[in-house]
Amino acid sequence: MDEFLQFLIAGLMIGSLYGLVGIGFTAVYNATGVVNFAQGDFAMLGAMIAIAGYELGLPLLLAIVVAVLLLGIIGAILERTTIRPVRGHVIRGIIVTIGLSVTLQGAAVIAWGTDAQPMPSFSGDTPIHIGGATILPQTFWVIGTAVVLMAVLYFFLQYTILGKAFRACAVNGFAARLVGIRIENMRIASFMISGMFGAVAGIIIAPIALTQYDSGLSIGIKGFVACIIGGFGNPVGAAVGGLLLGLLEAFASGYVSSGMKSAIAFLLLLVFLLARPGGLLGELEKAGRH
Amino acid sequence: MVRYGSLIAILVVSQLVGSNYVTNLLNIIGLFALPALGLALLMGYAGQISLGHAGFYGMGAFGSALLAMHTGISPWITIPVVAMLVGIFAWGIGWLVFRLRGHHLAMATLAFGIIVHVCLVEFRSLTGGPNGLPGIPVLSFFGTDLYSDARIFPLIWIACILALVAAENLVRSPVGLFMRALGENERAAASLGIAPDSMKRSVMMLSGAFAGFAGGLYAHYIGYLSPGPFDVGMSIKLLVMVAIGGFTSIWGVLLGVAFVTLISEVLKPLGAYDILVFGAMLVFIIIYCPRGILHPIVNLVGHFGRKQPAQAEKPL
Repeated sequence: MDEFLQFLIAGLMIGSLYGLVGIGFTAVYNATGVVNFAQGDFAMLGAMIAIAGYELGLPLLLAIVVAVLLLGIIGAILERTTIRPVRGHVIRGIIVTIGLSVTLQGAAVIAWGTDAQPMPSFSGDTPIHIGGATILPQTFWVIGTAVVLMAVLYFFLQYTILGKAFRACAVNGFAARLVGIRIENMRIASFMISGMFGAVAGIIIAPIALTQYDSGLSIGIKGFVACIIGGFGNPVGAAVGGLLLGLLEAFASGYVSSGMKSAIAFLLLLVFLLARPGGLLGELEKAGRH
Repeated sequence: MVRYGSLIAILVVSQLVGSNYVTNLLNIIGLFALPALGLALLMGYAGQISLGHAGFYGMGAFGSALLAMHTGISPWITIPVVAMLVGIFAWGIGWLVFRLRGHHLAMATLAFGIIVHVCLVEFRSLTGGPNGLPGIPVLSFFGTDLYSDARIFPLIWIACILALVAAENLVRSPVGLFMRALGENERAAASLGIAPDSMKRSVMMLSGAFAGFAGGLYAHYIGYLSPGPFDVGMSIKLLVMVAIGGFTSIWGVLLGVAFVTLISEVLKPLGAYDILVFGAMLVFIIIYCPRGILHPIVNLVGHFGRKQPAQAEKPL
C-alpha cells in the first residue's frame, strides 16, 4: 500500500508534466496545423535559460520568469520566420520543426556543453512523509503548477474573447478569418503559449531530473504520446492522456521493471495510433481542414 | 548514360589518386546513398514520410552480422538474404503504419525507429548492447579479404550504381508513374485504379530492403557494430540528404548524400557547432529551396545527359 501511494504520486507528477508538454503541442496544432517536433526542446531550453539566469545571480523566481517569457518570444519568432513560410505543407512543416529541434539542441550544446545541468529545488530537499510514502517537496510544485496552469488555460479558452477566437481558429480557420479574427496573430500566440508551457514544464522538472541538451527529445515524445492517447488537438485530452501515461509508466517501472518504462510510451503510441487514432476523448472536430 | 559515365569516371579517378581518405569518404557516401535512395522513393515519389529508416539500416547490419557469426554462412549470402527479410519486415511495418497520414505517420515511424534502437541496446545477450558486437566476419572475394577501404570500395559502388539504375528504371516505369500519382494526390490515384495502400507497402518494402542491404555491407565492412549510429539522428540525416536532393530526383539524392557527407567533414573542426549548422541548413533549405539546394546543379548535369522526363513541378 505504501508502495502503491509512492508510485501513484510519482505517476501523477510525471503525468502532469507530460500533460503540460502535450498542451503545448495542442495549442500549436490547433492554430497552425503543425505538429511541433521542437516542443520538447522548448522545455529543455527553458530549463537551461532559467539555470543560467540563476547561476548569474538572479533570484530563482526572477530567473524562471525571464526564462518563460524568453521562450514565449523565441516561440513567436520561430513561428514568424520558419513556420509561416511553409504553411499548409504537412511534410515540409514536419521537417522544418525537426530542423528547429536540431538547431535548438545545437545552440544548447554551444551555450552549455553536453554536461547535465542541475537546478536547485524550489523549497528545499527535505522529503515529506505521507502515509508511508516519501515525497520530495518539488513533486508538489510540479503537480500544483500543472493544475494551476491547466485551469488558467481552460478559463482562458472558455471565457475570454481571445480564447474563444483561438478555439474558432482551431475548429475552422477559414470561418474564423471571415468573422474578422486575425489568424496570423493567433498562430503567433499559439507558439508563444507553446513556448511558455514548454519552458514551465522543463523548469519545474529540472530540480528532479538533470537537464542536458538532448533532454527535449524524450520529453517531447512523451508529450506527443499524451496527446495521441487523449485525442490530438484536445487540450483536456492532452492532460488526461499525460496523467494516464505518467501513471502507467510509474506503475510499470515499480511493479514490472524499470527497463519497461521507456517501452510503455512507444507501445501505447503505436497501439493508439493504429487502433484508436482519435484517442480516448476524440480529436477536436475540424471543419474545413484537410 | 553521361551521368553514369561521369560517376564511374569520378570513382575510377578517385582510386587512381590512391588517397585512403578520399576512398573512405566515398565509401561513406555510398553506404548512405543506398538508404537515402530508398527513402527518396518513399518520400519524394510515393509521398510518404518515414522517420525510422535508421531502424531498417540497423536491422540489416545486426541481422547480417549475427546470421554470419552464428551460422558461419558467408556474408555474400547473409547480406542479400537479410536485406530481403528487412524488406519483408518493412512491408509488415507498412501494413501497420500506412493507415496513418501526415503527422501521425511521421510519429509512428519515429516510434518504430526508436523501438528498434532501444531493442538493439537492450537485447544485450544478442547484440552486445552498448558495448557493441565485435568480430564480424569480413567479405572475401576469391580468397582476398575485403577489409580495407580500397578493397570494399568497388563492391559498395557497384551496389550503388545498380540501385541507381533500378530506382531510375522504377520511376520511369508505369509502376513509377502510379507511385508518383499516389504522391501527388492519393484520392485521384485511387480513382484511377491504383491501390494506394498496397502501393505504399511495396515502396516501403523496396525502401527497407535498400536500407537493410546497406546496413549489411556496413557491418561486414566495419567489422564492429554498436547500436549508437542507428538512432533517430541517422534517420534525420537521411531525411536531410533527401531534402537537399530535392525529394524527387534520383541523382539529386546522390548529390545530396555527397553534399551532407562533405559538409559534415568540413564542419568537423567546428566540433559542437556542426549540428547547429546542420539544423539551420535543413530549415533554410525546406523553406527557401523546396526542390533541393542542388537543383540548379542537377539541372546542369541533366542538360548534358539524357533529357529528363517531365518532372513533377509541384514541390512537396
